[in-house]
Amino acid sequence: MKQRFLVSGAVVTALFAGLISWQFPTEARRDDKPRFVVDADWPKPLPNNWLVGQVAGIAVDRHDRIWIVQRAGSLTTDEAGAEPRFPLDPAVPATRTGARSDCCYAAPAVLVFNRDGKLLKSWGGPADPGFLTTKCVAPTCQWPTNEHGIYVDHMDYVYIAGNGGANQQLLKFTNDGNFVYQIGVAGAFTGGRSNDTNGDPNGRPLLGQPADMEVDPATNELYIADGYQNKRVLVVDAHTGLYKRHWGAYGNVPDDSPPGAYDPNAPAAKQFRNPVHCVRIADDGLVYVCDRVNNRYQVFKKDGTFVREAFLEKDTLGNGSMWDIDLSPDRHQSHLYNADGENNMLWIFDRASDRVINTVGRNGRSAGQFHWVHNLAVDSKGNIYTAEVDTGKRAQKFVPRGRGHGHGHGHDDD
Amino acid sequence: MRWARAAACRFRLALVALLFALVALVAPARAHDVANELRISAFVRAEGGRLNMVVRVPLELLLNVDLPKQGNGYIDLGRVADAFPRALNATAKGIELFADGERLALADGEARIALPSDKSFASYEQAISAVRGERLPPDTAVYWNQGYFDAVLTYPVRSARDSLVIDFHVARGLRDRLKMDLRYITPEAEVRAFEIVTGSGRVALDPRWYQAASTFIGSGFRHVLGGADHLLFLLCLILPFRRVGWPLVGVVTAFTVSHTITLIAAAHGFVPRGDWFPPLVETLIAASILYMAIENVLRPNLRWRWLLTSLFGLVHGFGFSFSLSNELQFAGSHLLLSLLAFNVGIELGQLLVLALVWPLLVLALTRARGAERIVVAVVSGFVGHAAWHWMLERFEVLSAADLPPLDAGLLAQVATVVLIALAVAMLLQALRQRAPSVASAPQARRIEPSPDQG
Repeated sequence: MKQRFLVSGAVVTALFAGLISWQFPTEARRDDKPRFVVDADWPKPLPNNWLVGQVAGIAVDRHDRIWIVQRAGSLTTDEAGAEPRFPLDPAVPATRTGARSDCCYAAPAVLVFNRDGKLLKSWGGPADPGFLTTKCVAPTCQWPTNEHGIYVDHMDYVYIAGNGGANQQLLKFTNDGNFVYQIGVAGAFTGGRSNDTNGDPNGRPLLGQPADMEVDPATNELYIADGYQNKRVLVVDAHTGLYKRHWGAYGNVPDDSPPGAYDPNAPAAKQFRNPVHCVRIADDGLVYVCDRVNNRYQVFKKDGTFVREAFLEKDTLGNGSMWDIDLSPDRHQSHLYNADGENNMLWIFDRASDRVINTVGRNGRSAGQFHWVHNLAVDSKGNIYTAEVDTGKRAQKFVPRGRGHGHGHGHDDD
Repeated sequence: MRWARAAACRFRLALVALLFALVALVAPARAHDVANELRISAFVRAEGGRLNMVVRVPLELLLNVDLPKQGNGYIDLGRVADAFPRALNATAKGIELFADGERLALADGEARIALPSDKSFASYEQAISAVRGERLPPDTAVYWNQGYFDAVLTYPVRSARDSLVIDFHVARGLRDRLKMDLRYITPEAEVRAFEIVTGSGRVALDPRWYQAASTFIGSGFRHVLGGADHLLFLLCLILPFRRVGWPLVGVVTAFTVSHTITLIAAAHGFVPRGDWFPPLVETLIAASILYMAIENVLRPNLRWRWLLTSLFGLVHGFGFSFSLSNELQFAGSHLLLSLLAFNVGIELGQLLVLALVWPLLVLALTRARGAERIVVAVVSGFVGHAAWHWMLERFEVLSAADLPPLDAGLLAQVATVVLIALAVAMLLQALRQRAPSVASAPQARRIEPSPDQG
């Protein structure tokens, strides 16, 4: 009797279980907003008692290695306290000789990490012993005094620019820091030369403190956001560095005349303001350009034809809201991420509609917060890496969470 | 008097040995960081009397081949083909293939240099046509360590059904910094993916049942010996038993059966996929050890230990499945057999440990006449202490993981699992009532000094 009761009880219970799982399929759980959480363990502590200064560029290469370029010259005398001389630049008179503390030595300018934050290699700049006397020797290779922007192309070549006073050059290196070529020449001009095509000693175009760059693997063309002095997007042959084409805002011929201060109530500016701070090429062939102080990105075809523009926080004055752009790695690159170093957060746009759908972080100095977040880059798993300048002086990693990250990429699992 | 002193001495020795064994188990395993990682991609496919291996090697691995260069280290693409025979031979030497036990001899090879961004190694067909297709323009600036050497290596085979074995040992010194992503396409056009670390020995691509079984018995054996938590759980489990008898067999069997169930379920994908699940299981495993240790100290309830053990066994089975997930690639078409073989390996490992620990345990307990409870409590205390720390560490990982949102869907899933468990319990109870002699609980035994031992 009791046995039969138990068996029928089991059948009824199992039926209930079936009914519930039929009524509530797993897909019913949905949270469409892409979210990110900081990975405070990234990167791992640096070896050799090294310290980084302002991190003025970040890029992810084809192998998901994360490259930063940092400004050893931005370390203060106490931060570089173990260095026997300060400043590091031998051309500048010493304000201190002899170490003042155990902390720290300046790290080389270029540092490469894996997704776990382990340092894989390092080279470049005045803090890399012998680099400026053997690998990048002036005047053919003029290492910038204030490094700015880094990119690693489809052939693993590395590009670095600078925005220090006379930094009017962009350098190309092999993956291990062997000099390949230089575009532009330091200290060539003042003001703007936004329409120059071949003014440097090698017949390559003059640059005006270039900020950022990217190579189109389909054509091996190098796109340059040019820059803090010029007001253009410049395209050169990445193999030779020779001029191909350039354009200004709305695809117009750039005009170097001073536009005056940004006014949020004025009609949208017909020219870029300095700096033209980023350039990013999407898989669908659209070229995104950061017009930082005008608080907008403009979208072009690869030939420079204007497609559309999107504004962000138009009332932002000072340094502007549109600092750097990268795209999510799903098949349609459905999200666009922007680093906003003035309002100190990341903005996530829906790329199809140019609308903001979420933000990441806030101002502050703790893990996951920002001060002058200057650049960002995305790996194949959808992790975002950020770089901060001014007194920020660090790189951070953000891991995707939630279900709103599009299709076609998984989370970091190794 | 002398006898008593000698007995006390032996007792102390046994206890010390036991504690040493525990400390050795609990000592943290050293993690090794993987620095720069290099990957070789390859496809293997036998068609008719030929076997093709399409392989992509990062150029930096071909340093010894000395490809012709120009300028400051750029590959001289006009002359590089002259060096291809050397590069092909070096590749064939580092990736050896065997059919039915005989090493295959390279018959033919084609090669090219590819850019780091080249994506043609997505499929066998794409890869082979790319290698045989267009060359890079000779003026392409490929730096000597930035790019790939792509090759098709062709070997004669007697039949596509030969039992194939691969031995990957390129640059053995790199160890786990160099891996090969290998996809083997069976004669039935089924694709099997492998990730093989350099120098890890021979791997059967389409293992016969006995090859799969021996592989997995070995890996189960190694896994249980390397996993301190499972062993400590086992130790806690058997600590209060004094004799090899039905109660002990019942407990060990219950543990085995239940972890087999979850292991097989996990291998077939019946596990939650969230980041939270592995740390949850690991935390529960630590908690199970802690519980057993506490129960041992307070009042071991041996009558119901089999039931509790089978519950904990379910959790441990998920734990085994995490370590197995990377190795199932070597199962070929023998998934179930491999899972069972893995379990057999686990049992063999457990038996070995029991065979080593049991005499010590019996010695310690019998010499401690009247103080068995103290011995059990001290050993359990040590184990419990380790488990406590593991539990805290793992809980920290768990709390950092992204928990599933608490909503109707999750509740429905939980309710489903609970109801199924309830239904199974009811069925078991019904069975028990029908055949009480078969499913009855092992008889209770209290710990008592037994005069027939020692």
